[in-house]
Amino acid sequence: MDPILILVCVILGGVLASLGVHLLPVGGAPAAMGTATGVATGTVMLMFGAAMCGLFTASSVATFSDNILLVSLSGSVGSWLMMGVTMLVANVIYVFGTGIVPVSGRVDVDPITKEPQKAYKTPQCDGHGVPNVSYISGMVGALLGGFGGAIMYFGLLNYAHFEETMAGIAAMGIFVANAIIAAYNIGGTIEGFQDPKFKRLPKALVSCGVISLLCGVLVVLVVNLGGLTG
Amino acid sequence: MTVGGGPVVEEEKAEGFTIPPDVKQLGIIAGVISSVILIFPGLPAVIKAVGLILALVWGMDSVRKTSKYGLGTGVPSIGVLAMGYGIVGALVGIALVSKVVSKVGDSVLAPAAALGGVLLMGVVGLVSGVLSNHEKIIGMKIPKLEQGMTELGMAGTLAMLLQFSIVAGSLEFGVVLDKAISNGLIAVMFILSCMAMFHPYNACLGPDERRPRTMIVSVEVSGLLCVILGIVVAAVATTTWGVSGVVDGVLLVIFGAVVWLVCFVKFVRMCFEEAYSTVGTGMIKTIE
Amino acid sequence: MPIEIAMLFAWMLLIVFLALVACMFEDLESDVGSQSNPNSQVQLAPQVGQVHRFFNKAISGEAPAYALYCTVAGVIAWVLLSKGAHPIIAIPIGAVVGEAVHVIFSVTAHVGRTTAQKRFEQPIYLDVLYGHIMPIATHGFMATLCITAIAYIQSNLGTLSGNPGLDHPFALPMLAFIWGITVGAIGSSTGDIHYGTEREFQDRPFGEGKRVVYHGKITRYADCGVRTQKDIAAFCAKFGGPCTGLTFGVIILFENWRTLVGMQVARYLPNLEAAAGDSAAVIGIVVGLVIGVVMIVGNLVLVRWARKRYGTFVGE
Repeated sequence: MDPILILVCVILGGVLASLGVHLLPVGGAPAAMGTATGVATGTVMLMFGAAMCGLFTASSVATFSDNILLVSLSGSVGSWLMMGVTMLVANVIYVFGTGIVPVSGRVDVDPITKEPQKAYKTPQCDGHGVPNVSYISGMVGALLGGFGGAIMYFGLLNYAHFEETMAGIAAMGIFVANAIIAAYNIGGTIEGFQDPKFKRLPKALVSCGVISLLCGVLVVLVVNLGGLTG
Repeated sequence: MTVGGGPVVEEEKAEGFTIPPDVKQLGIIAGVISSVILIFPGLPAVIKAVGLILALVWGMDSVRKTSKYGLGTGVPSIGVLAMGYGIVGALVGIALVSKVVSKVGDSVLAPAAALGGVLLMGVVGLVSGVLSNHEKIIGMKIPKLEQGMTELGMAGTLAMLLQFSIVAGSLEFGVVLDKAISNGLIAVMFILSCMAMFHPYNACLGPDERRPRTMIVSVEVSGLLCVILGIVVAAVATTTWGVSGVVDGVLLVIFGAVVWLVCFVKFVRMCFEEAYSTVGTGMIKTIE
Repeated sequence: MPIEIAMLFAWMLLIVFLALVACMFEDLESDVGSQSNPNSQVQLAPQVGQVHRFFNKAISGEAPAYALYCTVAGVIAWVLLSKGAHPIIAIPIGAVVGEAVHVIFSVTAHVGRTTAQKRFEQPIYLDVLYGHIMPIATHGFMATLCITAIAYIQSNLGTLSGNPGLDHPFALPMLAFIWGITVGAIGSSTGDIHYGTEREFQDRPFGEGKRVVYHGKITRYADCGVRTQKDIAAFCAKFGGPCTGLTFGVIILFENWRTLVGMQVARYLPNLEAAAGDSAAVIGIVVGLVIGVVMIVGNLVLVRWARKRYGTFVGE
């Protein structure tokens, strides 16, 4: 039982969760009506869903591998795939089901592919669909978020000696608390790293770091008092 | 999910004790009674269920108080936050109980140590409330968010601890781990408690929402939770009350079913009376 | 005991098929009982004077709601299985109990929300309330049944193929919880677009985003008469539903397939060699990264095609 390692895993998991939340392109309710850019769901729920998918793969890999990096990367790739497929099919529905060109509403030129956005946007809308920059931002966000969830799970499983289901649900509880605080920071919707709201990131990182530290201390307390050994 | 409906009106403070109790009275009553019930894990499950219902209604009240001012990400998030804290707090609580038991032996008041977990989680809730509301950090500027989050941390932990006590029959770390956590029951406790906290306000959201009506939904969902827990207790747990827990579980199922039925019928009837109109069928109109 | 490789991959393909069906019905169910993001328009309509006959089911977003039904179903199934019932009885009974909970929550949500809109003169139509309970319950039953079955197979994958060492370490209710959240998050992100952008605003021009001025003014009249959710589900079943099912099926396919391929290539199977564990993980990661990069390229191609074919915005 190593308290420092437990704290590092929990804090890293929480901070990566908040970073992932800021990178995911979330449009909320307006995106479901083609009025805003991003995925048409709530911030917290999308991050939670992606992290759960990653946690599933990470927990099955943890049964046959002891390497912290491999287990966490398996979790991150699990989330990466989930976001990738979800955003791709969402774009298919936007393009073929509703006849919309995916464009961003916050920037005039796509920072990655240098494509102009304004001419393709419907007036009185804040962009629609998932353009390339938001797609890549979302993939990276899911990668980081999944990594955070999986590393927290690994820490609770192997350093705090929790049992698998207990580690899974405790990791999920701390992860979702961090994601919610980060979602308060962006106020519900964000387009990705190109959005001006992204500049508010440091505040969320600090808050989530503090909360994860407190939760990590409580986890160490549980291990100490509950007498959990290897 | 969140659509504002007009300006927020502060409710008049009722004088003296009322049924249903006003916000402050409910918090104190629920907190005190649930804590007292928590200290005695040997009680029959029905009494613990009463404590559970009070804790969940308290949580619902806090969710309602904070969400009235527009959280921006929806009512469900804060309910899930409360139970996320509840899980961590409950784990701390049962670990504390085990430590006390291993130090002083099996005393009657050992489970009181679980309240330490409740208080610690209240502190974490307070810190997150301060971080969220302070204008130099996240700056949500919601009145009384700090108090709301503190209450949510405590209510969530109390609810989770009471559910552990119902299913496992005791608050000791090893027993709870074996009977309530490793077999995955904690997942259903988590999500149904979340629902009991945020569904009432979410389901009654609108400009004509009335607090007594919303509270009935909270009791109704808690009744449903008691039915599910009762089925589990009757099937697998071995509490010390009754014949290998089956009697305990069956009584809990009956209690939960009665509470649920009474509240559900009352709520639906109340809504039919208080809606604009309740018609069998009809055409629609457009109001310019 | 060695694992039978063919059985393992067969069970995995069955999981993929169940996932496809589950998410398709999840999306259709969230269209039959209007839930999550497009429901904000149904909530807004009376406030702008458009009284409607839609089923306003506001049980949070789809992710926690589906987590609820699937976890309840998982717990009841687990209780029955631990008492010795055969899975073919336990899983459907669990799903029925999950759906009973679902219907209870739907009724309180619809009635509560409509009552809170008294000042906008939105009545409670009893035929809307009673008439939609059955479609909601049946569509939801399909989704919950498939998710519970997936959770059961995954928590017993090794036992079913020969070696219990390959079972997933999480308990059955926990797996049902995880997949409930995922299926809700996916259904909310993909299928709801077809419902919200296309069907809810059917009388607005096709081929553009729905402007802010349109919000609240949903299409309330159907092909003949006044529209209800029953008209909507039939439309979305032709595009939105199957696409959503495809999403979840493909995700489950990639997740399980790359793990199993990694195990197979690293010679971890059929005897679960502990020494090959690390290389199995590495191969799984590399396969996943490659698939992700292919999808990024796919999105680039798709967006470029749309820009070229559809052209810039025409009109005002």
